[in-house]
Amino acid sequence: LHNTGASGGTGIARGARLALAGTFLIFALAASAAGSIAGAGPVPEKGSSWFVDTSRLAQSAHGRLLCEDCHGPMKDHRKHPLKERDLLLREAIRTYDYGLCKSCHRLSYERSLKGAHAKALREEGAAVGEKTAPKSEKKRAPVCGDCHSAHYERSGLSRLDLGRRMTEVCGSCHPAQKESYLKDFHGRAAVDLGNTDSAFCTDCHNAHMALSLKEKGQAIRVCSRCHPKASIRFTSFVIHASVQNLPEKDQGKRDAVLLIHRVKIIALIVVALILAFFFGHAFVWMLRELHEKLRRH
Amino acid sequence: MKENVSGAKAYRRFSVLHRLLHIVTMMGFIGLALTGLSLAFSSQWWAKGVSWVLGGAENTGDLHRFLAVMTYACVVVHTLWFLYYKMILKGTWSGPRSLLPRWQDLKDFFQHVRFIFGRRKTPPPFDKFTYFEKFDYWAFFIGMNTMGITGLFLWFPETVSRFLPGYFVNLAQVLHLYEAIMAVSLKFVIHTVTTHLRPGVYPLDKTIFTGLMTRERIMAEHPAQWENLAAATDVKSAPGHRPVS
Repeated sequence: LHNTGASGGTGIARGARLALAGTFLIFALAASAAGSIAGAGPVPEKGSSWFVDTSRLAQSAHGRLLCEDCHGPMKDHRKHPLKERDLLLREAIRTYDYGLCKSCHRLSYERSLKGAHAKALREEGAAVGEKTAPKSEKKRAPVCGDCHSAHYERSGLSRLDLGRRMTEVCGSCHPAQKESYLKDFHGRAAVDLGNTDSAFCTDCHNAHMALSLKEKGQAIRVCSRCHPKASIRFTSFVIHASVQNLPEKDQGKRDAVLLIHRVKIIALIVVALILAFFFGHAFVWMLRELHEKLRRH
Repeated sequence: MKENVSGAKAYRRFSVLHRLLHIVTMMGFIGLALTGLSLAFSSQWWAKGVSWVLGGAENTGDLHRFLAVMTYACVVVHTLWFLYYKMILKGTWSGPRSLLPRWQDLKDFFQHVRFIFGRRKTPPPFDKFTYFEKFDYWAFFIGMNTMGITGLFLWFPETVSRFLPGYFVNLAQVLHLYEAIMAVSLKFVIHTVTTHLRPGVYPLDKTIFTGLMTRERIMAEHPAQWENLAAATDVKSAPGHRPVS
């Protein structure tokens, strides 16, 4: 009681800190409850928590690492995080120095630096590993932690589980591409029916390079891994039948998508008219037949 | 030897070959619909069930292609039979008792619609094949060929892309699916209802399985054919309607 009476300013600050800590505790409890229900769900939790569920961490791919292996010696973190409120208001995955991932994942790290995601990051004025806050929710190139959960990622997932997971992970930023992929035969066979010979996202686009495949020469090299007899014209087969995020100059694909859409509409109208005619004809005809039968009774 | 043609109890409507072709195409069509729709609507629980039973999408696709070849083989056999019928048996492809559409079918259709709406007391005097039976037949015959072409596009996309741009495979997918939906609706609903669920033949018209149609049914449903039968003095002058028993 005497604490609150001491000084108005510190009292409010103290109250705010307590509220903040309380909020984090509630969020942490909620997150751990959700985590224990969902288990190793297909999508990492949205945003990030400053609290680590050590039981899930122990089961993850990094479960045998020590905190200091990735976060540096404890003595470098003298300051209690509660004294750095700016830091706590930012997302944890955005404050980490991903350069440290390189010591174990050198190939993936170097590939990602050459890839389209890192290029987008540089265009946003940041680099992989740089401590940066996103400029806006909409335009935000991913850092390692956006796709991989450092604490909870499990190792040894089957190709199918990994493929279904990546559809969700990639789809969280590329929803139009996820939707069109799931409508395409590759996605239907792979994700819906569990056919592991079919292509998942990274089979064509590569994981860390994040290839756009808008260039035909690049695309045919990817297609011909499963379709060895494919010629260059094969690449105009439309897998993502959507023009969202398509550059204006890619007129060829725009025309193809429009043509497919128009043929679909025409087919729908023709089929609907034919079926309406025959269903109507058969229905009235059967009523007449029934009437003729009942009349004679 | 003369025989009283119009005195028989039943008449042969479909030969052994045609009954066999109908059974095989019917089985093939049901299988094609089941496998094809389960691949097209793969996110649905029943589609996943079909895929699980058949052992995955690869097997479902293989079975679909096998059934397609089997069903299309019936079309080929049927076409060969047509040639045999014309050249060896010296039969005719056209005429009132053939399956070839003619102007009378259009007239029959309008008269039948008048009957359906109560503007006419009786259905038109149909001959051996009615306009809706001819529609069922030609829808399948033409549909098997168009489905076959779009199906080959999907089966051999690499080969197709040597002659046409890749998005023709997309167009083939669209047409294959929409035509499949139409064909399944027409065969599973319209053909079943108009052939088997009509009062009088309900619950099943066995003619396509036994090949036989009774005298009474021919008189009632195919009066023009009956006139021709009754006028025939011996079996040979009434081809295609061999009396049985």
